[in-house]
Amino acid sequence: MSAADPYATNAPANERLERLTHSHWFERLELFLERASERLNPILVKEARQAMKSRQFVITFTLVLVCGWGWSLMGVALMREEIYYSPGGPFMLIGYYFVIAAPLLVVVPFAAFRSLAGEIEDGTFELLSITALSSRQIITGKPGMPFCRCSCTTRRCRHVAFTYLLRGIDIITIVLILSYTFLASLLFAMVGLLVATLSTNRAWQVLFSVLLLLALLAGTGWWSVFVWAMLFSTPPLDQWEFWISNVAVITFYVSYFVMGLFAASGLISFASDNRSTRLRWVMLAQQALIVGWLLYATLEGREIVGLFFASGISAVHWSIMGSLLIGESAQLSPRVRRSLPQSFAGRMLLTWFNPGSGTGYVFMASSFGAATWVIVVSGLLSMLTPFSNRINNWDWLWFSLASWCYVIIYLGCARLLFLMLKPYYYVGLLFTFLITVLLTAAGAALPFFLQLWLAESGRPEYSLLQTYNWIWSLYEIGDGNSWAYPWLLPILMLSAACVFLLNLFFAVKEIEQVRLTTPERVVQDERELHPERFVEKKQATPWDEVD
Amino acid sequence: MVSSHPMIELRRLHRFFGDTRAVNDISFEVPRGEVFGYIGPNGAGKTTSMRILATLELPTYGDAYVDGFSVVNDPDRVRRRLGFMPDFYGTYANVNCLEYLDFFARAHGLVGRERHRALQYTMSFTKLDELAEKPIRGLSKGMKQRLCLGRAMIHDPAVLILDEPAAGLDPRARIELRVMIRELAANGKSILVSSHILTELAEMCDRVGIIERGELLATGSVDDIQREQRTHREVKMRVLENAPAAAEWLRRREGITHVLEDGALLKFSHIGEREDEAALLRELILADFAVAEFASHSRSLEDVFMQVTKGRVQ
Repeated sequence: MSAADPYATNAPANERLERLTHSHWFERLELFLERASERLNPILVKEARQAMKSRQFVITFTLVLVCGWGWSLMGVALMREEIYYSPGGPFMLIGYYFVIAAPLLVVVPFAAFRSLAGEIEDGTFELLSITALSSRQIITGKPGMPFCRCSCTTRRCRHVAFTYLLRGIDIITIVLILSYTFLASLLFAMVGLLVATLSTNRAWQVLFSVLLLLALLAGTGWWSVFVWAMLFSTPPLDQWEFWISNVAVITFYVSYFVMGLFAASGLISFASDNRSTRLRWVMLAQQALIVGWLLYATLEGREIVGLFFASGISAVHWSIMGSLLIGESAQLSPRVRRSLPQSFAGRMLLTWFNPGSGTGYVFMASSFGAATWVIVVSGLLSMLTPFSNRINNWDWLWFSLASWCYVIIYLGCARLLFLMLKPYYYVGLLFTFLITVLLTAAGAALPFFLQLWLAESGRPEYSLLQTYNWIWSLYEIGDGNSWAYPWLLPILMLSAACVFLLNLFFAVKEIEQVRLTTPERVVQDERELHPERFVEKKQATPWDEVD
Repeated sequence: MVSSHPMIELRRLHRFFGDTRAVNDISFEVPRGEVFGYIGPNGAGKTTSMRILATLELPTYGDAYVDGFSVVNDPDRVRRRLGFMPDFYGTYANVNCLEYLDFFARAHGLVGRERHRALQYTMSFTKLDELAEKPIRGLSKGMKQRLCLGRAMIHDPAVLILDEPAAGLDPRARIELRVMIRELAANGKSILVSSHILTELAEMCDRVGIIERGELLATGSVDDIQREQRTHREVKMRVLENAPAAAEWLRRREGITHVLEDGALLKFSHIGEREDEAALLRELILADFAVAEFASHSRSLEDVFMQVTKGRVQ
């Protein structure tokens, strides 16, 4: 507050505000609830107020209720007396599922998308962005209200409980289906929000809304197939592998949800903010999850295919993430440079988390490299165990190393192309993603068609020309033919090393960035805001370092 | 703690959109408690520089500071000290005035008693008490403008940026707004306000800056700018007799142009300060002209604006 306290006036208060200070129990309860609401996201409070006055809520609520009752009557009528002795639970539940799937899987995500896109179109988003709300609060507040609204609506649909009284279904399956449907709804909403932040252009927003709606309908269809399968094929609830796989799915879900949240909030954050570091940590966590769960599955099931999957999925993961990382701008704002690591160890280990094309490439290569070595060491260890019976060849090892090399080569070339074009054209994340897709497609297609053209007989044979054809080469390795091409891996490793070193050379400027001193004005303000952080450190022993 | 630096400072601010130089090397300062008027034709770069100050856009070169904090490097600290009122309302459907202001108070992190006091003060200051429960869609332009001013000041910022706040308002609403702005300045707030209604700005601003094609052409008080531009003062004079001789006498004087004769009334332009006018009057009397009336007026802000700007567009 400024020096002249404006609130110290005798201005007449409006009626409602005056009412709140009265001591009637209902008003005190209202005051308590209002205080409690201060802990909620302000966007949630605002949207709740808006929703309570909107016709949309009444219509959705009524529709779900009517459809729920309608299906109850229709289902009972269809089953007639069979309802007493045949397993009609799944049949009734699938009907109720469709009643709640439409609001949860289509309405909620689309409402979240429209809410944010509408704010951007109307300019109110700008007013929000200059408040104390963080971009993450803006993103998380958006799906909150439609989700609460639909949850209220579907909770009213108590007919679901009725299915439990019928034969053929148990409470765990009902809870699993409902919980997963709620989680799917949240994930779809996050995708909707991410799409809303992609462009501020009205024409693009219209196109995105059509595409999103189609995607949501497709996603709902796919999800419904999964629910159908779960209902009518009796999930193995008594097997612990089923529950372990559920835990695995949840961990992946959380990692991708957090990534979507960070990406969406990064896209709407201020331009001088660090949008990359948090995402890189999530990518690393996802890599750990991929390798961890697939190695667990491999060692537990003694199936060699798990090692191939771990390498293959890691390669896809890093190809997609890497293609976006190499398109980042290497210019760090002074704001970001204030928090760069300072110590030798910090600079050595954490520089790769700084925003930038070069650091992104090295981060991708080293993270995927670390994952490959974990796969290799785990594979080798499992071969040494006496009870290992299936992991008995080396193909998985060549496959892992070759995948790593291909990702380094193709992304490295895409980055070099990006660096060449950058001084002349505007090139960003979308460009590097497209360039990577084109390069990898050309790398596989061109040698193949050349071989096809050169082949005199009808069927082309794998040859030296196909070294950089990643599809054919990985297929040959996976098929157990790597021994026939001893030159393949050495060439790939040498090429990867060359491309990596060349990219490292062009990343030197990014690595050289050093921390900037925080301006005195900022330190002064920080001291006023958080005095507890500036308590003088006392030397307890002569060896203590005091700042 | 009262800060020693200017509350608003633009340092060699540039903002380019392709080949268009929306803001081209603009620098000025606004101290605490001052109302600074930003004048310029459409497309001059007023809104762009205001948006940079409001941390909605990044400058191409240069920087802007609010209470000593860079808008580029410390936008969060700037936002705590700044209230921005853009040239659109930015309201929500199905929300009344109190709910709207309450939302922004919460969004600015105000809680409990502090939030209630902020709401109470803002509603009283903007005279929206009676309209607290009224839906926003039912408000008139003037009421909406007051609501938006309330939104910008709900967190008691030290700096207010108001982009065309008087646009589309009737005279009464304009006067009310002017009074509010002056009152805010008296409370120590620094205000940057843009407007096309130049007479409005002349009355409410301590200083003005004239901008065209992204360049700041002149800054200072209206009088200062006038002096700087060496503008002509229009003089009206009535003589009781011998008007043609007086006209002829004036025509021979240096610094006097456009002498018009209308019976006993003479009109002319005079380059110089008030002291020069007094000397001229003395000389006229000494030359035996019976001067019955002698009045001059400086050029209005509109005249200055027209003289300084060239009506160029880019």
